Amino acid sequence: MPRCRLPLLWALIAVFFLAQPAFAHEQSGVSGGLISGLLHPLTGADHLIAMVAVGIWGAQLGAPAIWVLPITFPLVMAFGGVLGVLRVPLPMPEVAVALSALVLGAAVAIRLRVPFAAAAVLVGLFAVFHGHAHGAELPSAANPLAYGVGFVAATGLLHLCGITIGTLSRWPAGERLIQGFGVAIAALGCYFLALSLEGAT
Amino acid sequence: MRRTLGVAGVAAAALIGSAEAADAHIVASRLGDLYAGALHPLTDLQDLILWIALGVLAGSLGPAKGRWLVPVFPLGLGAGLLLGLASGVASAGPVADAGMILVMGLLIAAEMRMPATLLCAIALGLALIRGAANAGGVGPETSWLLFATGLASAGYVAITLIMGLTVAFRGADAAPSMTWRSIATRALGSWIAAIGLMMGGFALAP
Repeated sequence: MPRCRLPLLWALIAVFFLAQPAFAHEQSGVSGGLISGLLHPLTGADHLIAMVAVGIWGAQLGAPAIWVLPITFPLVMAFGGVLGVLRVPLPMPEVAVALSALVLGAAVAIRLRVPFAAAAVLVGLFAVFHGHAHGAELPSAANPLAYGVGFVAATGLLHLCGITIGTLSRWPAGERLIQGFGVAIAALGCYFLALSLEGAT
Repeated sequence: MRRTLGVAGVAAAALIGSAEAADAHIVASRLGDLYAGALHPLTDLQDLILWIALGVLAGSLGPAKGRWLVPVFPLGLGAGLLLGLASGVASAGPVADAGMILVMGLLIAAEMRMPATLLCAIALGLALIRGAANAGGVGPETSWLLFATGLASAGYVAITLIMGLTVAFRGADAAPSMTWRSIATRALGSWIAAIGLMMGGFALAP
């Protein structure tokens, strides 16, 4: 063996001995629950865009929606999550989740102004369906409390992202950009709605 | 020379990559029970969430009311540990824990004002329950006095720090307000309540 390959051999030996078990699937314990909970709202594109849209719409609507939203939404969503965990059936949950992205995206795109109570009822209804989907898909091996911590934190941070994006509406160019985001979210919502309707039939 | 350096580099990388925590000090001696008592609650999410919730609640009520918790909470933890050891009842159960997390979160989210006596009563009740829950970490060889001292010290440091951070973040003014700092504190309470709600659901799940 040429001498120049010796370091490579040493490196291979080091890699072999430092190898750790791979967790390619469902993770377990507190860390697994935390990671599963954090990643779950981020890995479903329909959930992710709807959560960001909620934050943007809240910012567009201004007070009191912009501060009521981050306080009440996690609770309503957790209520939906409990329904999912308890296997309480909801009608066409996947269709409702896709529809939420479409409706909320459209509301952002056209700067829909509705009374606060109507916006709260609409967002609350969608929150129940989103929470239900997350609760029903809890990994069986994960620590439930850690999953809840990760799930709630990730959802809240997605809203915060949306609210931060929504603050661009202070400037005319930013408002146009946000409306563009709304169109993109609504278009993706249409796509997911078509997929879920196809799956439901 | 270059080859030697390459081998040394790989060996150094392997050493760094495989390094583990050194246990060279007094953890294995009797004083280890003090550390065990201090660390035991910090490895339990129920304790962490409830302690944070209590600290945030007390801090949001202002330093005048919150400072009473500095002696009440650690002493309650120590008393709870002794009660747990004496009675043999270690844990209140996941549904009760979830209920406590939910109520604490709702109190923060609703920005509930309350007298100092009620806050102290809540803190004492919570400390007794969580102190008893930590009794599970006391083994036959463990010195209960050192363990209780460690637990109470951890409670003292944690509750004081969290209250102090909340007061520094939110301001010493205890009146309800619509500033973004106040809203952020209430949103944190909502997150805590949501976690409690989900935990309750998981505990009741078939």
